[in-house]
Amino acid sequence: MPLKKKSKWKEGRAAYAMILPAVLIIAAVALWPLLRSFWISLFDLRLGDPTRNAIHYSYSMNVEQYADRFPGLLRAVKREAGNAGGGALSVLSAVEKKLDEVGGGLEDDRAFQERLTKVNGLLDAFSPVPQELRFIPVDNAKAERLKAELQEIRKELAGLKAAGSLERPDEVIGLTNAVLDTFQAPNFVGLSHYKDLMSGRRLWESLGNTMLFTVFAVALEMLLGLLIALLMNRTFRGRGLVRAAVLIPWATPTAVSAMIWHYLYDGQNGIVAKLLYEAGLISDMGTLLSSGSRVMGSVIMADVWKTAPFVALLLLAGLQNIPASLYEAAWVDGGGRWKQFLHVTVPLLKPAFFVALMFRTLDAFRVFDLIYVLTGGGPANSTESISIYAYKTMFSELDFGKGSALSVIVFVCVLLISMVYVKWLGADVVGRRAS
Amino acid sequence: MNQKTGLLLYIAIAAFIGIVIFPFLWILLASLKAPLYLYGEYAFSIKVPEYTLQNYISVFTNHPFGRYLLNSFTVGVLTMFLSISIAAFASYAVARLYFFGKTFFLGILLAVSMLPQIATLSPLFLFMQSIGLRNTYAGLVIPYTTYALPIAIWYMTTFFKQIPVELEEAAKVDGASLLGIFGRVLLPLVSPGLFTTAIIVFVDAWHEFLFALTINTKQSMMTVPVGIAMFQGEFTFPWGEISAATVTVTVPVVLLVLLFQRRIIAGLTSGAVKQ
Repeated sequence: MPLKKKSKWKEGRAAYAMILPAVLIIAAVALWPLLRSFWISLFDLRLGDPTRNAIHYSYSMNVEQYADRFPGLLRAVKREAGNAGGGALSVLSAVEKKLDEVGGGLEDDRAFQERLTKVNGLLDAFSPVPQELRFIPVDNAKAERLKAELQEIRKELAGLKAAGSLERPDEVIGLTNAVLDTFQAPNFVGLSHYKDLMSGRRLWESLGNTMLFTVFAVALEMLLGLLIALLMNRTFRGRGLVRAAVLIPWATPTAVSAMIWHYLYDGQNGIVAKLLYEAGLISDMGTLLSSGSRVMGSVIMADVWKTAPFVALLLLAGLQNIPASLYEAAWVDGGGRWKQFLHVTVPLLKPAFFVALMFRTLDAFRVFDLIYVLTGGGPANSTESISIYAYKTMFSELDFGKGSALSVIVFVCVLLISMVYVKWLGADVVGRRAS
Repeated sequence: MNQKTGLLLYIAIAAFIGIVIFPFLWILLASLKAPLYLYGEYAFSIKVPEYTLQNYISVFTNHPFGRYLLNSFTVGVLTMFLSISIAAFASYAVARLYFFGKTFFLGILLAVSMLPQIATLSPLFLFMQSIGLRNTYAGLVIPYTTYALPIAIWYMTTFFKQIPVELEEAAKVDGASLLGIFGRVLLPLVSPGLFTTAIIVFVDAWHEFLFALTINTKQSMMTVPVGIAMFQGEFTFPWGEISAATVTVTVPVVLLVLLFQRRIIAGLTSGAVKQ
C-alpha cells in the first residue's frame, strides 16, 4: 500500500529528527574524543614544554627566533674568520658559505621570505610578534637537510674549538645550537608510548591494583547485596525505612564518602581504626591508611559500604519480579526454603544478577574518585589504579601523549571485559537491557 | 514465620542499618564538636564538654563553600534541563516510532554508558582549553549532558512504553499531528517519569568528580565534591570543617532522595543498572 509506505517514511523522518540532537552531542562529545584520544597517544605531547605542547604533523620554524638568531650566528662566524688565519680561516670560510646556503635555502621560499620581512619589521619596531605569525611550516625533507647541514657546521666549529683556534668558541657553538632549536620537529612517535608503558613496571602494577580492587570489591558487593536483598524481600515492619536507608550511601558523592572514610580510618582520631585496633585486628591504628597491603583493604571496604546497598536495591527489584505463584508451586511440591531458593530464586534472579555484576565490574574497573580522595594512589603507588595513573600522567606530569595512551588502555580493558561478559551472558540479556 | 527467625531477621536488619548510617552519624557528631574535642582523649567520645555550630560558620566564611554549592547546583540544574529535553524526543522516537538503525542507536547508547570517561578526558580538556570553556559552567554541562543521555533515554523509553498505544491512536484519529501527540498527549502522561529521570540526572551531575577536577580548577568555579577534596591542607585535615561541609552537602540530597524514594527506586531499577 503506497499510503502506508509513505506514512512509514514520514515516521522514519520524524524519528531521525527526534534523535538527531542526541546523536550529534554523543558523536561530538563522546565518540570523537575517544578516537582523538587514540590519535593524541601517538604524539609526544607535553603541555609543560612550549616546543611540544601541540600536535605537529610536520616540521615548522620559529620565524621570530630565526630572525633573532641567524644573523647573529652569521656575524659571529664572520668575526671569527676575520681574526683567524691559516687552516682555521679556510674552515671558517667554508662554514660561512654553508651558512649562507642554509639561509638561502630557507629564504628561497616566498612565504618564508614574506613572513621573515614582516617579523623583522615587528622586531625592529620593538612590538611583540603574535603567536600566529611565529611559526611557519617547512617542507620535511628540506628541514632535515638544513638541520643536517647545521649539525655538520657545529661539528666543524667543535673541531676548531678543540684546536684552540676560535676566539669565543662557546658563542658560535651556542648560537649554532640556538639556530638548530628554531626548527620544530614533528612530534609523531607512533606506538612508542605503548611500547614504553608495556615495558615499564608501573603500568602492570596499576593494572594489578585495579584488578585486585575490582575482583574483591565486586565479589563482596554482589554477595552482601544479595544477602541484603533477600532480607529486604521478606515482609516485616519498617521495610520502607530500610529501603530509605539503603539509598543514603548512593546519594552521597563518592568523593565525599571517601572523605568520611578518611576520617574514620585516621591513624589518630579514626573511630574505625580505633575499633579494629581494640578488636586486635590491626597492630597499629595508623596502618589502615599507611601500610601497603592494608590500604587496598581499606579502599575496598569503603567501596563496599557505598555500593553494596545499591546492588541490593537492584537485586531486590529482580526478586520482586519473581511471581509468588512459583514459590507456592514449589512449596506444594514439597520443596523447603532451601529448595525454593535453589530452584526458583537462583534461576529467575540470574539475569538481573549478571547484568548488575557486569555494570559493577565496569564501574569498579575505572575507579578514580574514591582512591584519589582516600589515598591519592599511595602509599608508594600501592593503591594506584590505572585511571589514577592516567590522571597523574596527564595532570601532574603534563604528559598528554603518554596519559592518552594510558586512557586508551583503560578503554581497551573495559571493552575486553564487556565483550567477555556479553559473550558469557548471551547477547539477549544485554540486548533486552538496551531496548 | 516463627518467633526465632523473626528476631534474627530484625537483628540482621538492625545491624545492616547500623553499619550503613553509622558513618553519617559519626560525621554529624564530629561536625558539632568544638574543634578541640576532635583530637586527643575526646576524639572517640560521644559526650564532649562543648558542642558548637562554629564548624558550619567557618565552612562558609573561611572557604568559598557557598560558591561551591552554587556552582554544583547551577551545573546540575543546567545538565538536568538540557539532557531531559534532548532525551525526551529521542526516547519517544525509540519507544514509539519505527526507524532504520534503531538497534544501532541503542547499541551506541549502551557503549557510551560503559565508556570510561577518562578515555575522552584529554581531547575534551584540550578542546575546552582552546575555546576558553575551562572554568565555565558550559565546560562541565557539555560533558555531563553527554554522559547523562544514555541513562536518561533508557529510563524515559521505559516510561513512554508504559503508556497505552490506544491513547495515541485516538489522538491520531482526532487528527493530531505527531508533534501534537508527543507534546499534548504523551509528555503530560510521562511527566512523573520525566521528573524521576531529572532527579537521577541531577544527582549524577552533583556527584561527578573527574571532569570537575580537571576542567574547572579555578576555586571560584569548583563544584562541591572537588571543593571538599581540596579542604585538606598538605599535612593537616581540618576535620571539623570537613565534616560540617560533608553534612551540608549530604543532607539536602538525602532529603530529596527520601522524599522521592519510591520513584527513584522505580527509575533506577526499571532502566539500566547504572549507578
